[in-house]
Amino acid sequence: MVSSFYRDFTKAFLVISLIFISSSLFSKVEKYGEVSFENRTFSEKGLFGQDKDHSSFTLSPEFYFESEDQKTSFTFKPKIRRDSLDDERNLFDIQDLSLVKVKNSYEIRIGIRRDFWGVTETVHRVDIINQTDQVESFDGEDKLGQPMINLSLERDWGVLDIYALLGFRERTFAGEKGRLRLPFLIDTDSAMYESSAENLRTDFAFRWSQSYRDLELALSHFSGTSREPEFINKSISLKIPYYGVIEQTGLEALYILGGLALKLEAISRSGQGDRFSAATAGFEYTQVGILSSRLDLGWIMEFNYDDRYQESPLALGTRLTFNDMYDSQILSGVMRNEETGETNVFVEASRRVRNCCRLSFESIYFNGGSNTNSIQKLFEYLKQDDFVRFEFIYYLGN
Amino acid sequence: MKNLNKIFFSALFFFFLNFIHSEEINRGLEIALKADDSFSGYGDSKTNLKMMLKDRKGLVTERVMEMKLLEVPEDGDKSLIVFDSPRDVRGVAVLSHAHKVGSDEQWLYLPALKRVKRVASKNRTGPFLGSEFSLEDLSFQEVEKYSYEYLRDENLDGKESHVVKRIPLDPYSGYTKQIVWISKSNSLIHQIHHFDRKSFHVKTQTFSGYKKYLNKFWRPSEIHMINHQTNKTTTLFFQDMAFNTGLSDKDFTQNSLKRSK
Repeated sequence: MVSSFYRDFTKAFLVISLIFISSSLFSKVEKYGEVSFENRTFSEKGLFGQDKDHSSFTLSPEFYFESEDQKTSFTFKPKIRRDSLDDERNLFDIQDLSLVKVKNSYEIRIGIRRDFWGVTETVHRVDIINQTDQVESFDGEDKLGQPMINLSLERDWGVLDIYALLGFRERTFAGEKGRLRLPFLIDTDSAMYESSAENLRTDFAFRWSQSYRDLELALSHFSGTSREPEFINKSISLKIPYYGVIEQTGLEALYILGGLALKLEAISRSGQGDRFSAATAGFEYTQVGILSSRLDLGWIMEFNYDDRYQESPLALGTRLTFNDMYDSQILSGVMRNEETGETNVFVEASRRVRNCCRLSFESIYFNGGSNTNSIQKLFEYLKQDDFVRFEFIYYLGN
Repeated sequence: MKNLNKIFFSALFFFFLNFIHSEEINRGLEIALKADDSFSGYGDSKTNLKMMLKDRKGLVTERVMEMKLLEVPEDGDKSLIVFDSPRDVRGVAVLSHAHKVGSDEQWLYLPALKRVKRVASKNRTGPFLGSEFSLEDLSFQEVEKYSYEYLRDENLDGKESHVVKRIPLDPYSGYTKQIVWISKSNSLIHQIHHFDRKSFHVKTQTFSGYKKYLNKFWRPSEIHMINHQTNKTTTLFFQDMAFNTGLSDKDFTQNSLKRSK
């Protein structure tokens, strides 16, 4: 799964970095990171007879080195995951292995990194630098490290980030025994690419962003191998991921109106069939101190548009923050697609335990809806995958 | 004629009342400006903050963070707070650009997602990290952000003090008014009573251990906040405070927020 290029790049970079580190350039060294244990219990056996219960263990230490003048820093963060049920959920990833050099008018970042683009909460349309580690969590916010050279210019006219993305990371998919899997199996070992360079293509991207008091604006473009594959039939139950080359332009806007944050993310993509556009727009509002208490209640509402589909889901979320010593909070959300009648609901409660740890409890429920005439249900294959998830995280460090 | 007299005298009365009132406003502002002297011209500063939270039962927890400040002479100051503990929020950072007029700008950095998130500055009135301080209490309190009224002189714990009422002009402030005790001898704030939206006296903030830096700038080494509704307290300790550390605008941008550790 990990390409030899990726392995070579990592090794070469690690060696160079070790030379840097040993050259006593770095005066500050910090070690932290986390160890977590997770268990997911499903309401039923899977559609393909998968087990009702599985656990996983994740270790991701982080090492941070910084020079005396704070202008040079180096970060190393590997991530190792072992799953009791699904081999495809086992992971060894370098999340970060990068050197950052800060100069007066620019900043250069070289190595394996993660970078996030976007303003919305439920769907991240513009975010494209990193591949999604889809098996990690249902929200798709976990990413794989991407080798890159990123030059960042910070001027009066805003911040311009220019990226050369060296090589490609494949998306992770649940395996045969795994839960929350697609109705077919994916042969990740024979992934196909539009580019003749396959997973060694160098992709390019840029993002300009600027803050104007109450308005945050960003414009970006990505030219390269799509992070989102299409599937080619190998047999009825086995498909091959096909990664096309795309051009994607993105717009992000966020406007602060009193306590309200209005958000918009829009993209236009060509290269995978016809050119299409998609957008997510919505707002976030926080009621501070509800009912004369310490509690805050945040509201999130986001609408989706995608010109490939007739209807796109509507998302509504709330965040209840207790503002107590344990930073307790409850997140909940509903996502509903009017076209297919499908709804999915989640609740996630978490709190800190002592100074070192965090405990969270999550439950997700999928409802196929009563609309039996619908063309194709998106979550049909997940209808037996309602689950409760428990996670305990121990944060390393002093 | 009688009516006219009545109008004349009531006009005179209101004029006089207004005159006294503006006198108190001017005096209040004067005292506030003098208290602010210690805060202008400081350039930049760095300090480590330790927060001790104590609940009603006496249970204590700690928070540790680093704070950087940059003075922006013509506008509000800039600040960057990076959390160090508890461990689950390590690396989370808050960047603020205060403005003398209008709302402040604020960004949050979430290291797990490598995400910079702009947040509405209105959300600064709730408890900060579960403490009795709000972000509003911790942010720079520009003179221009309040209207003032001088109330009286009073002896507070042996210190002759001016007592001034200030009303936040920011419609999103968590307070309707604050009563401030300012020492007569050195113009330092020693105590603030905070009144919430319902005009209840919710919190009392006391400043102690003032130290002079660079022969000019007085800073407290401890700030204590008690919440009268919950009886919870938070004490803020300022450690290793340093001035003229060479910080510039470049250290208070979204890019610097991304690399704050």
